[in-house]
Amino acid sequence: MATKVRNVRPAVSSEARWWLWMRITGILMVVFVFPHVIIKDVIVGVHNIDLNYVAQVWANILWRVFDFLLLFTTFTHGMMGLRQVLMDYIHSATGRRTVTWVLGILWFVISLAGAIAIIGGVQQPGM
Amino acid sequence: MASRHPALEGYTRYRAVGQLAFLLHRITGLGILLFLVIHIIDTSFVYFAPELYDEAIQIYRSIPFMIGEIFLVWSVFYHGFNGIRIIIFDLWKPEWWEKDIAVKSVYWTLALSILAWLPAAYIMGRAIIENHFMGG
Ligand code: HEM
Repeated sequence: MATKVRNVRPAVSSEARWWLWMRITGILMVVFVFPHVIIKDVIVGVHNIDLNYVAQVWANILWRVFDFLLLFTTFTHGMMGLRQVLMDYIHSATGRRTVTWVLGILWFVISLAGAIAIIGGVQQPGM
Repeated sequence: MASRHPALEGYTRYRAVGQLAFLLHRITGLGILLFLVIHIIDTSFVYFAPELYDEAIQIYRSIPFMIGEIFLVWSVFYHGFNGIRIIIFDLWKPEWWEKDIAVKSVYWTLALSILAWLPAAYIMGRAIIENHFMGG
């Protein structure tokens, strides 16, 4: 008995593109999320993280590139995921367009703040 | 278990297990996102408000936040593993959505997420004790 519990044949539409991007960002993220969580939360620990620690890590350009990709893949995936959840409750065309735009603007502003911090780097207090 | 509706049994079983997997995926995804927004903002303090950064991190060092952190790490393991399962099934192995395989894969995902998390939870739990109850 081969009872399929899920059919994977989405119509070619903009929703299908969102669907695919959830999966593309999901695959990319595996490389960034697990190392990040294991290193920072488990191995280093929150008691050893401060301004100095961040400055030391970011002295290496490769970690900045890593954190930049971590930021963009996770936050983009997360906001698209929140959109997906909200689409389950909002059905009017205007409502859906509003949700997409509001989340898009939030995505842009918060990503920009994170990106500026990574590129600008750690500042010394009181300067 | 004998059922008076044998034809329905398979569906109801996957629905229970599958809905649990789906619900956990949604709750963990939203939970991680909530933390991520706060975390991007506190990290950007290193550039925008460096004098506040250490104070912000101090909040994460409190006992309630460290306990929350342990559950956050499980959320990432579960959501990540389950996400990989969904991606493999959807994109490459749609035939694995067949009921028996789908149900089993949910149990495997749950088991693996807990197994991977236990050592991490132990180390993080030990850090709470070391930093809050010893050598003070
Ligand atoms: C290794 C990392 C991850 C993988 C492989 C992954 C994979 C996925 C996949 C495949 C989906 C779509 C599920 C579906 O359509 O049924 C999804 C949904 C989602 N993800 Fe992730 N994810 C990961 C990390 C994250 C992170 C870090 C966040 C938070 C910022 C997040 C937030 C979400 C949200 C909010 C949803 C929508 C849930 C829903 O529609 O019920 N994910 N994830």
